[in-house]
Amino acid sequence: MTVYVYAITSRDHPCRLDGTTGVGARAAPVRVLAAGELRAVVSDIDEEIRPRRRDVAAHQAVQDRLMADGTPLPLQFGYTAPDDASVRHTLEEHAQTYRAALDRVEGCAEYNVKASREQERLLREILDDSPEARRLNDAIVAGSQDPRLPLELGRMVAAEVELRHASAASDLVRALVGPAREHVLHQPVGSEDFLNLSLLVPRDEEAALVKAHAAVARDDDKGVSVRLSGPLPPYSFVP
Amino acid sequence: MTMVPQGGPGLSRAGGGGSSSLYDVLELILDRGLVIDAFVRVSVVGIELIKIDARIVVASVDTYLRFAEACNRLDLESGRSAPAQLPDVVGKVVEGGSRGKTKGALGGALDAVTQSLRGRSEDEEAEEEPEEEQEEQEDELEEEAEPVRRRRPARRPVRRERK
Repeated sequence: MTVYVYAITSRDHPCRLDGTTGVGARAAPVRVLAAGELRAVVSDIDEEIRPRRRDVAAHQAVQDRLMADGTPLPLQFGYTAPDDASVRHTLEEHAQTYRAALDRVEGCAEYNVKASREQERLLREILDDSPEARRLNDAIVAGSQDPRLPLELGRMVAAEVELRHASAASDLVRALVGPAREHVLHQPVGSEDFLNLSLLVPRDEEAALVKAHAAVARDDDKGVSVRLSGPLPPYSFVP
Repeated sequence: MTMVPQGGPGLSRAGGGGSSSLYDVLELILDRGLVIDAFVRVSVVGIELIKIDARIVVASVDTYLRFAEACNRLDLESGRSAPAQLPDVVGKVVEGGSRGKTKGALGGALDAVTQSLRGRSEDEEAEEEPEEEQEEQEDELEEEAEPVRRRRPARRPVRRERK
């Protein structure tokens, strides 16, 4: 029977998953397959899985349970194998790779940081700081029909937006990477976000990260807000 | 909104608006994580859409014009102003040319994911945001995403063979 695969753990991970149910309408129990030094966390499915909220949440809930007892290798959402035997086979075949990947993240959790800035405030700031942009804007608002003006203003503002976002992003990275063993920058998602940073943080450094985040979480004058999510399984730090 | 460790693990459905925090890590769950080539990835339209949506097109005439328009709408004298949010910008870009169209259409698809994740469901009924206008969102996004795929064959996600 087709199985949905959630995560790979080391053999000494307790995988306490009693009562946990998996993706799919049937919500089959989540179970564990052992192969050599590794274990795979799976559940049976008999339908096509799509990214419904229910299923994405179920996938994440299994990871949360595992994180309580040690860091797993979380699979990307949506992977299935034809049967238990093929999962075991894959574990055995790539045991060394997974072992090394587990060592890399051992004792750590991922934290994701997203920062956004209200666009309106940003545009105001740019017009305040740039006399040339202000002049162009005033001319357009006053009724100038010159088609070059909006283009010129827009180009100027777009460049400033990019510059200011980049500078704010690098300030935040500097303020937050201290407690992290590794970090990686992802493309920001969403229209006002300018930072999407994932940190691999040793569990005993979490308090330091939370503290560092608290210091930068809001800047109401600039309209900046910084959201911290975690602890997560190390989605961004696996092969 | 911040999810910080408070005695236990748990991001997805911990109290205090858990579903929006799920949304905040959606792209990690769908787009990161261990990839195992020997296994089959179920064909999931939303996954590809998220990825594409992340490629923000900044340097285009459409973007310049939208930025200019957003500036023009600011009421610089009183400090009060018409909101000039980028979603608005993105929405209008749809009309303005093929590059913009890609972004706009896909932005819409991402919105569908947002809606579907923030919408009601049996296990998370707490979320009652007044500004949520679309009450009747499906709890999945394939319907919304489907037209995008048809219109833009070049972006069609690769469907892998199953089994």
